[in-house]
Amino acid sequence: MDSATGYLTTTVDAVVNWARSNSLMPMPMGLACCAIEMMAFGGPKYDVGRFGSEAMRFSPRQADLMIVAGWCSYKMAHAIRRVWDQMADPKWCIAMGACASSGGMHRCYGVVQGIDNFMPVDVYIPGCPPRPEAVIHALMDIQEKIRNEYSVTNDYSSGSPHAELAQPESARLTADGRDLSLNGSGLVHA
Amino acid sequence: MPESLKFHFTPVDEAHADEKNVHEKASTDVADTIDILKKEFPDGISDVVVYAGEYTVFVTRDSLVEICTALKETLGFSYLVDLAGVDRFTEDAPRYEVYYCFVNIHAKKRIRLKVSLDEDDPVLPSITRLFKAADWNERECYDMLGIQFEGHPDLRRMYMPEDFEFHPQRKEFPLLGIPGSLPLPPRTPEGGLTMDPFAAARQGSPVKSYQEPESEF
Repeated sequence: MDSATGYLTTTVDAVVNWARSNSLMPMPMGLACCAIEMMAFGGPKYDVGRFGSEAMRFSPRQADLMIVAGWCSYKMAHAIRRVWDQMADPKWCIAMGACASSGGMHRCYGVVQGIDNFMPVDVYIPGCPPRPEAVIHALMDIQEKIRNEYSVTNDYSSGSPHAELAQPESARLTADGRDLSLNGSGLVHA
Repeated sequence: MPESLKFHFTPVDEAHADEKNVHEKASTDVADTIDILKKEFPDGISDVVVYAGEYTVFVTRDSLVEICTALKETLGFSYLVDLAGVDRFTEDAPRYEVYYCFVNIHAKKRIRLKVSLDEDDPVLPSITRLFKAADWNERECYDMLGIQFEGHPDLRRMYMPEDFEFHPQRKEFPLLGIPGSLPLPPRTPEGGLTMDPFAAARQGSPVKSYQEPESEF
């Protein structure tokens, strides 16, 4: 870049996280009455479009945030898990309402006592059902989580970077001061 | 306070039985229908209970289908409103009850039949041939209480998976279920999915997790 026109330095993480956090596409897993509040959350009054999440994706391939809204029966658990497994990484999950978080008032044989029994959950929302503001708050929590993630420098997809970084600095640095665990662009070796 | 907004308790003890119930409705007064039934099926009706202006006709198991046929075809009770089972869980009386609610739409009348069933022999004739609406209710009753309906065209479970071993609305079934009786997906991503966790529902064998199900398109 020409220095006369000025330039900007940033980390790739900052850009990627900014983009990811402001374009979360929710997969609405509406199972019960919480789904009605979830619709309000996506509707014009609460307008989740302000946070870039107004585009509900009914295909797991296009979604990166699953909102499990409502009680989940043992029969449904398998379907939810299949949909979750089909979502592309990175992905996040909100357990919306008391039932999805803990079984809630459905303390009985047919309802899974919390969806974290079979899938990972990032944010739990209390309430029966939670107000749309609470869902927006959970979404903002997810955004906060994404903004603090190391998405590129600690890319685990090609092995654990910690194995090299865990070594003492004397073992990682070469004689001319190069860090063996980092490649030419300062990123962790792929 | 206007009279219509007052709350009236339904009398429960014998002392008030002779008083007129304020909730009583003309639609539940089916004394004449019961007289006809009693005349036609003297052995089929074991008891008639009147409570709060509502008649409950206790019917024997053997004459249930005949009485339902008469109700539908000659007495005009052509609409089956509800059918479900009860687990009384008492020692002195037969344990299960199945009740049938019928409505005569033109005469605006309602009638309730009840069949008592012994714990050791919870078998009833199905009335799906008379009332198509009984189909799912009988399946629900079978699922929840384990009452067998003979002659039902498709007596599968309604809610629970087909390979579930228990009947959850029986009183001895623990409210929180029996651990391990219902499969959950694996807890770890490496666990692999159970593609068809309830394979017995389709008389099939479980699909392996690495096999995608066949597309319908």
